[in-house]
Amino acid sequence: MSTPTLQPEVRADVTTTTEPARSPGPKRRSRPNRLPYWLIAPALVVMVLVHVLPAIGGLVISFKKFNLFTFRELFGAPWNGLENYRSILLDTDNPLHSGFWGAVSNTAVYTFWTVSGTLVGGLAIALLLHRKMPGQRVARTLMLVPWIVPSYVVAVLWAFMWQSDVGIINKILVDYTHLLGHRPIWLLGPNTMWAIVIPSIWRGLPLAILIFIAGLQAQPAELHEAAAIDGAGPLRRLRFITLPLLRPLIGVQLLFGVIYSAYQFAIPTVMFGSNPGPDADLMMTFIVRQSFSNQLYGLGAAASTLLMFVMLAWVAVWYRAFRRDLEVS
Amino acid sequence: MTAITLSPRARKRLINRGLDTLTWLVVALMLAPIFWLVASSLQNDGQLARGSYDLLHPTLQAFRDMWKTIDFERYFINSAIICTVAALLATAFASTAGYALARFPFRGAKPFGLAVIGTQLIPGSMFLLPVFIGFLWIKQHIGIQLFDTRVGMILVYTAFFTPVAIYFMRSFFQAIPRDLEEAAQVDGCTPFTAFVRVILPSAAPGLVATFVYAFLFAWDELLFVASLTEHNAETLPIGIRLFIGNYGQYYGQLMAAGVVATIPVVIAFFAAQRWLVRGITAGAVKG
Repeated sequence: MSTPTLQPEVRADVTTTTEPARSPGPKRRSRPNRLPYWLIAPALVVMVLVHVLPAIGGLVISFKKFNLFTFRELFGAPWNGLENYRSILLDTDNPLHSGFWGAVSNTAVYTFWTVSGTLVGGLAIALLLHRKMPGQRVARTLMLVPWIVPSYVVAVLWAFMWQSDVGIINKILVDYTHLLGHRPIWLLGPNTMWAIVIPSIWRGLPLAILIFIAGLQAQPAELHEAAAIDGAGPLRRLRFITLPLLRPLIGVQLLFGVIYSAYQFAIPTVMFGSNPGPDADLMMTFIVRQSFSNQLYGLGAAASTLLMFVMLAWVAVWYRAFRRDLEVS
Repeated sequence: MTAITLSPRARKRLINRGLDTLTWLVVALMLAPIFWLVASSLQNDGQLARGSYDLLHPTLQAFRDMWKTIDFERYFINSAIICTVAALLATAFASTAGYALARFPFRGAKPFGLAVIGTQLIPGSMFLLPVFIGFLWIKQHIGIQLFDTRVGMILVYTAFFTPVAIYFMRSFFQAIPRDLEEAAQVDGCTPFTAFVRVILPSAAPGLVATFVYAFLFAWDELLFVASLTEHNAETLPIGIRLFIGNYGQYYGQLMAAGVVATIPVVIAFFAAQRWLVRGITAGAVKG
């Protein structure tokens, strides 16, 4: 982050000697070009102040014994080595050990279903909306609306609809259509995972649809026509033309979808409160609860750091898989 | 059986009508929860608690009561001020930084671009506590109160949404032809005045789209506002949960509050829809 302070001078000398020869323009610039550094300065300052320094602070805290009793000492709190990490990762005597691993597996399940549901559903609906039909524009615009609804409204709305006795979802599934013989309990027990996955997919779909439609529109129509003339049916064209051409878009959405889902906090928190229970407790709800309700700051920071490194690993894996798509676009 | 044999043309038309119908069914399904949100907000609390509906006799009672049941106005005004100012600042910072990334091959451009994306990889929970400690430190040493103030939240949100805004602005600047700056510089502008007088005005749609995008994200934020405020600067996501509390189950008002909390973002979105969609898709297509 500190490179901009020293490096420009070095480069500037080079440009001043070469520039007059290269561009005899009307306005000769002999001064080194510091402009880009001034342009990025405000953004850089806020990012360093609110992202970089605090993130380093978080990393430091993860190695400290930082809790309710040592909070007054702030960064003077005693060092704790790797104890925070060991206690949540390996220490079976620690009651938070199982809570941590539970949150890890819940987050994996939540991320898997949310991202795959959003991408598969988004592609299917985008294909439908890509067809010419009367009212296509209206349909596309209406489809965007769920994305604009704030997460907390999504959470209170779905919590309202999921209610077992009086909620509209059970009324439809049980009373009106008789699809189910009993009333499922959505807001307690194992179903709580679906109670957060389904609204998350619902809210994520519009963006996926939007991006896929843009990708479909960019595909050359001749390619599909030529394949159709050669006798390729719709499914074969989807498999061998549409999907390969959409690969970069699928890649981008996978990358950010996984990160966004793994850091999900608002929907489970607003729906269930600070403790969503063992079946819907995600990494972020676990970390925030341990840090701020139980004042186990060091432990929370260690869990945050682990979460971040898992995401870094995911980015590395993603990069290996989608590197060649980045170069194409 | 022969009666339902169709010509290929008729068969194709039938399939097309079927797919049209399916599309509209999907649209209806996607909008159903929003319909239910609005429909429920027009019922009274007593009915909703029993699960009974009278859709033919809507009432605006919940929209009147919600301001009295809790201090909803405070949450709403806080959200409006914090999100507007933060989105404006983020757009301003991002417009200069995005321009630098789009136009100047300066040394450090690549690390800076990577750092901008990198910020998105840090979980909020990791820097939340240090930010809180930072607020306490500033209060002790400089005497500026940031905890539970709008200024504190604006600072945090500005930093938060600047990175996405930078990528947004960059793609808009990249779409502006370079001749424009060159022409301006021929006319005697310095690179900076060319940026301010010529490029920024022609990037106006991008500025609007970026502002709205940052605003949508800020409007949605819960984690930081939940930890960095306790009363004065609390925003809508904190307030809305109070309708379902120990002292009552005001579902009608909860849904009305949901509608009211959604209206500003819907207006902002549709005002900037065309440019916003272009920004999002351009960003995604370029990666």
